[in-house]
Amino acid sequence: MQYSQKVLDHFMRPHNVGQMENPDAVATEGSPSCGDQVTIYLKINPDTLVIEDVSFLSYGCASNIATASIITDLIKGKTLEEAKKVTWRDAMEALDGLPPVKVHCSVLAADTVQTAISNYEIAHGLKEVPDFGKETIIEELKKIIYPQVGEDIVSLKMVKYVGFDDGNVLIDMNMMSFDQWRENVAQEIREHLEKYPAVKDIQINFP
Amino acid sequence: MKSGNIYMDNCITTPPAPEVLKEMKTYFEDRFWFPASFISTGESTAEAVASFKKTVADSLNASPDELHFTSGGTLANNISIKGVTLSRAVRGRHVICSVVDYPDLLTNAAFLEKIGFEVSYLEPDAQGRVSPQQLKDAIRDDTVLFMTTIVNHVVGTIQPMREYRDILRAAGHKIHFHADACQAYGKLPLDVKELDVDTLSVSAHKIHGPQGVGALYLKRGTKLEQVIHGVKRIDGLQPGGIGIALMAGFAKAVELTFADLEGGIRHLRGLSDYLLEQLEARIPEIELNGPRGEGRACHNINVSIAYIEGEAVTMMLDLNGITVATGSACASQGLKPSYVLLAMGKNHVQSHGSIKFTLSRYNTREEVDFVVEKLAGITAELRSRSPLYKSTHPEER
Repeated sequence: MQYSQKVLDHFMRPHNVGQMENPDAVATEGSPSCGDQVTIYLKINPDTLVIEDVSFLSYGCASNIATASIITDLIKGKTLEEAKKVTWRDAMEALDGLPPVKVHCSVLAADTVQTAISNYEIAHGLKEVPDFGKETIIEELKKIIYPQVGEDIVSLKMVKYVGFDDGNVLIDMNMMSFDQWRENVAQEIREHLEKYPAVKDIQINFP
Repeated sequence: MKSGNIYMDNCITTPPAPEVLKEMKTYFEDRFWFPASFISTGESTAEAVASFKKTVADSLNASPDELHFTSGGTLANNISIKGVTLSRAVRGRHVICSVVDYPDLLTNAAFLEKIGFEVSYLEPDAQGRVSPQQLKDAIRDDTVLFMTTIVNHVVGTIQPMREYRDILRAAGHKIHFHADACQAYGKLPLDVKELDVDTLSVSAHKIHGPQGVGALYLKRGTKLEQVIHGVKRIDGLQPGGIGIALMAGFAKAVELTFADLEGGIRHLRGLSDYLLEQLEARIPEIELNGPRGEGRACHNINVSIAYIEGEAVTMMLDLNGITVATGSACASQGLKPSYVLLAMGKNHVQSHGSIKFTLSRYNTREEVDFVVEKLAGITAELRSRSPLYKSTHPEER
């Protein structure tokens, strides 16, 4: 397993790293207990909605730090609408790829950027607080990477059924009993969904 | 700096000694024959193998006929664990080990469970030590095997072998005692008679010998079911070929290590004490994992550095030509934190930030100074990027 030269460059000399004084938006995602934590700070022009400055902090591995570095490069100078279209796939491409098992570490930085933008939009009345429902769950599942191949579990059709009723999440997974990543994936699903106050219970079924 | 310039991951494998390579060359080039009777080539090899066997047996205070060469420590563990449980299955199907044992033992335990054995897994204390009382409490009438890892491969904790021995002796029925000594070999004196083990595994490449060869001590009169089948070339327990050159290199490595075992231990103990002292002096908020001083093997220092992640640390050290290991989930192929640290009551963060240094006789004080200086710089750099550090140290904005 090897990192590209780009990843090493961004890991050793990350761009836009550090805490920001008086940011217009901030978001922290991940938790130390699951391995990574990223904080993103944004400075946004209220008239043009252009991201004028961005910085990050990362408690994470090389892949995490490098993705945060490059994704902050990618969104700097962009409007919020443009930045919303920047995904972990764009970051990964800009880094000349990542080893499959490390892709999941890169999703967090991309995710945190989106949360920071969303926080800004909600605070400035640009959008409503979205209702939590099945769609939110599916959006979260799209952020979970199957480490064997470095693709998300929704694209890989590993999610058979998603249900949400009165705070109870029910997910049927399509992963074989001998799949060594079952435990990792189940744990990640919980971490992604537990942060929503609307979620009371999560049941994940495997065949 | 060239990668691998400073190597401090000797618990995984060690650099082969130059004398070992020289010794092996003869056997690779000129004396490659397998043992055989009535022909000069084969007979000279038989004599050589007998002398290699004696050298390794002497290092454990065993007799040569109790010493069996294998293709490494893992093979030795498998031959012993599977062999003894299969041969005693009619007497009982209960096995005892601990959750912090080496993966060889734990994966064998899982296999035994699959074929109908019951396994009791003992828990360690906060220092990684598995108490003799737990062993005593776990013994049942149908217990046939207790296996342990003498020196823990993650934190270097030395298990209380004498107390285990006394409990097993007093058990009232025969319980086979197997010890994985791969991390202990050459790091503390091992006397199979005093330990009173029935089987014990060692490996050559942990003591500057070649990779791919090890040995199993099997106490005279102890029966193991044959688990590997095939033509007998070198040894009945592991049929098939085992490299003559590898055994020659193993014996040479043993000679070098045991010529002055006490001196070697003293050197390693002094060096790792110095490493720990320097780490604690130079890096704030660092904690030692496992016991301090005599309770841990002389070559192992394992620390957790708060607020930063181990894969990032090991990669930055690597770019400075330094090789160490980490318990971070991010650095493992299975994305899991160290099961040993978690079992000792450490949390995920402590495991993620853990760095393991394992030293060898080739490491020097100058290397330790260089490594600590680099690590102090890397720690400061990564902490300056870390949201965990920033949120707990607001004065350092």
